[in-house]
Amino acid sequence: MIYLDNGATTLHKPPEVRAAVNRAMARYANPGRGGYPAAMEAAGAVYRCRETAAKLFRCKPEQVVFTMNCTHGLNMAINTLVMPGDTVVISGFEHNAVTRPLHFRGARVQVAGRRLFDPGDTLACFEKALRERPTAAVFTHVSNVFGYCLPVEELAAMCRQYEVPFILDAAQSAGSRVVDFEALGAEFIAMPGHKGLLGPQGTGLLLCRRLPEPLMQGGTGSLSAQQEMPDFLPDRGEAGTQNVPGICGLEAGMRHVLKRGPGVIGRGEARQTQRAARGLQNLGLRIFCGPGQTGTLSFLPPDGDCEEASRRFARHGICLRAGLHCAPLAHESAGTLDTGTLRLSFGPDTSDAQTAAFLRAAAGVFPDGA
Amino acid sequence: MKEYFITFRSITMAQRGQSVLKSGGIPALLSRTPRWMEEKGCGYSLRLPPGHEGAAVERLREGGIPFSKLYLRREGGDIEELKP
Repeated sequence: MIYLDNGATTLHKPPEVRAAVNRAMARYANPGRGGYPAAMEAAGAVYRCRETAAKLFRCKPEQVVFTMNCTHGLNMAINTLVMPGDTVVISGFEHNAVTRPLHFRGARVQVAGRRLFDPGDTLACFEKALRERPTAAVFTHVSNVFGYCLPVEELAAMCRQYEVPFILDAAQSAGSRVVDFEALGAEFIAMPGHKGLLGPQGTGLLLCRRLPEPLMQGGTGSLSAQQEMPDFLPDRGEAGTQNVPGICGLEAGMRHVLKRGPGVIGRGEARQTQRAARGLQNLGLRIFCGPGQTGTLSFLPPDGDCEEASRRFARHGICLRAGLHCAPLAHESAGTLDTGTLRLSFGPDTSDAQTAAFLRAAAGVFPDGA
Repeated sequence: MKEYFITFRSITMAQRGQSVLKSGGIPALLSRTPRWMEEKGCGYSLRLPPGHEGAAVERLREGGIPFSKLYLRREGGDIEELKP
């Protein structure tokens, strides 16, 4: 099997991630609750994860709130910044994890920048929208469909200039691009733990500059005599028992990323994208690629039937994803809403041989090319 | 034995405090705060041997780590809240 759906989750975790999960399952009690060794050791392990995240993303350990996934963090961040009727600027490449919470919240959404692989257009459209002083901006670092890396440093500077608080969706960049919380000045950065950070599914991080509005109320192991949720980080965002085995696995995953370097990982994935793009182009297929593209590549089968093509790839042992990838807005921007696309998303462990094998399979799936 | 307690509202802040003190060579044991020291319930504290309390408070303040109170427990068990 050749796994090319790392944009959904990384499947092959480093051995140390699995070992950390196993260790936690065997040894750790509930952190921040009891004072006995198994609880205190669990608390120590959870804090080490905050410290590792703080090192990787340049923030303070207490600014790291553990979530179930990136969507969880985005919901919390959006609920904190956006009230019904508020105007919010988003890019034309947002995932439903951004657009659905905004829709549910009753926000007036303004889409800025719909041209794929055109950072100049993205910046010009955001500048125009930010001049109107919206309540907030939300943008993805990297499009999960097309691998378009938005000019987030410039967008962040623009938001700071116009004093518009913003949320960054780092679902597709955490672990494979530098994400600098301190330098960006984001109000919140949400990310999954199970994709580029190589942790288990069911983990995520929300980096917080301000106190988040909790989605859940409950026990935090602090200020237990009062009924209001604590007014400090990270407790305010972390009601209930934590996913300690997941957090321990995530910590091991982040250490792996720190050791290799997110830039090195990202460049390796982007190189596979370029190889695959060249090969698919030689088959006469329509591909979506551009400068600065990450480890994600969308393309279209000649007859436009992406689901059928993905089934045929599966028969060759190739795992890739067909459809809208939960991002209809991105497809609308690229003109692929009717068909969706076939998406390859490379991971830190994808080899040249695997990409070559994928291209051989593509030649078999599309024998007549376009 | 005399002992000092620095109390915190959250375990995360107590852990960060412990980390900062450790890097400065100040021994501090993380433990749950005794109920009579904690008005709002379920806090954590750092326990320090005598002679380190002044430096500990100074380092926590330098590091921007908020703590709640400083207590001294005497050998007989008497407790005194100190103004750091």
